[in-house]
Amino acid sequence: MSLLRVEDLSVQFHDKDRRQEAVSHLSFEVCPGEIVGIVGESGSGKSTGMHAVLGLLPEKAEVACERILLDQREITPPDLKLADRKAVKAYERTMEAVRGNEIAMVFQDPLTYLNPTVKIGRQITETIRAHKKCSQKEALEHAEELLDLVGIRKASQRMRQYPFELSGGMRQRVVIAIALACEPKLLIADEPTTALDVTVQGQILELFKKISQEMGTAILFVSHDLGVIASLCRRVLVMQAGKLVEEGTVEDIFYEPRHPYTRKLLAQASKLQKLPENVKAGEPLLRIEHVSKFYTDIGYWKKQEKTEAVLDVSLQIGRGETYGLVGESGCGKSTLAKMVTGLLKPTAGRIVYEGEKKRLKYPIQMVFQDPYASLNPRMTIGDILEEPLLLNTEDSKEERLRKIEELLKLVGLTLEDAQKYPRAFSGGQRQRIGIARALILEPELLICDEPVSALDVSIQEQILSLLENIQKERGISYLFISHDLNVVKRISRKMGVMYAGSLVETGSTKEIYSDPWHPYTKALLSAVLVPDPWKARRKKGVLHTEEKKVEVPLGRGCPFAPRCGYAMACCFTGRPDWYQFEGRKIACFLYSEEHAGRRSGSMKMTSQI
Amino acid sequence: MFGYTCKRVFIGILSLFVLVTAAFFLTRMMPGSPFQTGNVSESVLTSMEEEYGLNEPVFKQYATYLSNLMHGDLGISFKKPGVRVSEVITRAWPATAALGALAIVLAAVVGTLLGIWQASTKKRLVKGGIFFSTMLGTGIPNFVIALLLMLFFGVKLKLLPIAGLTGAENYILPVVSLAVYPAAVITRLMRNTFQEEMNRDYVVLAKAKGLSWRRTAVTHILKNAWIPVLNYIGPAAAFLMTGSFVVESVFTIPGLGREFVNSIENRDYTLILGLTIFMGVTVIGINLLTDLLCAWLDPRVRRAYR
Repeated sequence: MSLLRVEDLSVQFHDKDRRQEAVSHLSFEVCPGEIVGIVGESGSGKSTGMHAVLGLLPEKAEVACERILLDQREITPPDLKLADRKAVKAYERTMEAVRGNEIAMVFQDPLTYLNPTVKIGRQITETIRAHKKCSQKEALEHAEELLDLVGIRKASQRMRQYPFELSGGMRQRVVIAIALACEPKLLIADEPTTALDVTVQGQILELFKKISQEMGTAILFVSHDLGVIASLCRRVLVMQAGKLVEEGTVEDIFYEPRHPYTRKLLAQASKLQKLPENVKAGEPLLRIEHVSKFYTDIGYWKKQEKTEAVLDVSLQIGRGETYGLVGESGCGKSTLAKMVTGLLKPTAGRIVYEGEKKRLKYPIQMVFQDPYASLNPRMTIGDILEEPLLLNTEDSKEERLRKIEELLKLVGLTLEDAQKYPRAFSGGQRQRIGIARALILEPELLICDEPVSALDVSIQEQILSLLENIQKERGISYLFISHDLNVVKRISRKMGVMYAGSLVETGSTKEIYSDPWHPYTKALLSAVLVPDPWKARRKKGVLHTEEKKVEVPLGRGCPFAPRCGYAMACCFTGRPDWYQFEGRKIACFLYSEEHAGRRSGSMKMTSQI
Repeated sequence: MFGYTCKRVFIGILSLFVLVTAAFFLTRMMPGSPFQTGNVSESVLTSMEEEYGLNEPVFKQYATYLSNLMHGDLGISFKKPGVRVSEVITRAWPATAALGALAIVLAAVVGTLLGIWQASTKKRLVKGGIFFSTMLGTGIPNFVIALLLMLFFGVKLKLLPIAGLTGAENYILPVVSLAVYPAAVITRLMRNTFQEEMNRDYVVLAKAKGLSWRRTAVTHILKNAWIPVLNYIGPAAAFLMTGSFVVESVFTIPGLGREFVNSIENRDYTLILGLTIFMGVTVIGINLLTDLLCAWLDPRVRRAYR
């Protein structure tokens, strides 16, 4: 017997004269206690469908549905064209009792979904009090238990805090606690881990597993990430362009996909799993030497507070090379990038550029993360590309046009596109424009700060291969920054891992991925989910530690020591030196002579953990 | 928070000093003398000026004025012999303040309700009606509104008194005519911010929690939507509570606004200065209060000031 049964659900959006079908004839069911995954690219209607089930869509959406049954009770939304206001009101009344009580929802971005000006505790208790008759005091006690359940320590203290005072993972835990407040039978999770770091993602997924096991809650899990689906779900629905194209157990979908679209998705995902080849380092183009960046907060009467955004980072980027930089959000990657471009001045250390300084005024250019926000909506593509030329060169009109055409062609657009405004383009196309803009002054080094994070997996692949082709053609270097380990693995040959403002391990991508040495690298890589259900099940669970905002302890000790499972006494008292083994450098006491033994000439270091 | 308050008070005092200085020199730059009227002879004028210290160098006068001000002395009116400026203020302000406070409260309540109604209704007629009224409210000057109200309720219907401030019913017409403009502005502001907040994600979460629309609006949206509105209400309240010459004249109310305009006409230097300083203190004080209130409503602002 099914818990939720959706029959023939369609959703249409109206724009002036355009009609867009977001979901068409979707039917599925969920049994009590099972975890069902819904997978598909963005725009495939998976989220819209889930919102429609709960009646959360805005009014401009037209929902038509044969029937939705929850536990044999009808919760079918009324047809807006036929229904009178009474039916709509009656539907709203039934849904108010269902939402949060029997079906609860967890959303993608925990920051925007929590009210910024209401305390955490209040946001949980109001759900409880909306469905159960109890005093505020009882509700608060229950809320505390809930926070405890979702793994937030010092719950009573947290309840008095506001959402912006918590870290991303913690916020998502709060949203889950709100969803669990009335012990719903079904939990709909809409991309709940997409906005989180990998290690945090692992913890949140563990939490979902625990909820399903301990409370017997059925979970409908929406995600574009096949790795997440493989490690969590039992049954999978695949959606494409509003339609359900394939449905089956997780093994069937991953090992015997029948629909061509499913095969395409799997092929893309496995492409990212391959390891890159080792390459020989070229002559250095950019040297970063012991660079640090401190920020000081000046209080009115209090002491100055110093925050170390980047601490003593040294690395080298060779000609024609792609250097990948990974780390969790807030670890200082972007600050480092800004210092390399000269947007920020380092507090200490120096950045030496070895390229041809004279010919090029601006040899370093940057590609930004958000292709929607980084292009001026009131300028045509032609204007956007021409502006750097006008400011920095004395090219004639024809010369400029020629360069614009050449670059548009290089990134896969046409000269006609120069007349259009950014809104005419999709996310992937906008990022191509962003790349063209960065390349127009013919830089030797391109800094890509999370250039594909805002894009779909299939578009990501296109942009990455475009970057590769440009590199082959023009021989430029990239400093490629990303929090996504798969992306860095895909494009870079050399890489560095950053944690809390410092580099902890550098070396060739192939070696680091196949055999991580630093405990942090190991934790990071083990949190990456493979799109393979069997492998995912064999994987050991990630250790439960309360994740906190990354804070650097000033000066003393290894920054990772508080979270490290291998920390020794010396890790808390002093910073580890750099230990170099052939092409690999590592900052960890496990690889010191005191710990690993004296080095003889022919010694080969292996992983110490 | 304490540090922030201190800083704001300090900046307030500094801007008050600038205000005093500017006002002082501007009054001295006005052509003519306070005692110059048709039948005053030259010798009397000189002796009067001597008595009030107006023959001394301007900078000396300024220093004397400042030092008196430090002791809380606003001086004696030039035109009303023997009447202290502080007496004028204590006599005229209560009426003005009461009118202004009532007007701003009325405007805030009406504006908030109309704004929410306009933002959340689906009826086009209501939306359009409120929009049209706000256009009228911001477009028609308040003395026209005052005169129209007076004509209709006072003269034609004879329901309400049209002059003076003797009873509670005397307040109705001036308060309404003062409140129309701010109410219209608040309605528009409220509609915009409310509509913006209505489309935020946290409203979807509130709905997904099973809260009714009314509860979502009151406990979630209103708190966030009110912050920008509050930033308007603060200065508007300061403006209203320091008196409106036009409305006070129309309804013949002995308020601060009339005193102020009269004092300028009479070149009553000390009274002009005294009233300017008083209004400055009021404006700065209310603005500080608004900012503190915003910080109280919005924890993010509070955190930024810590």
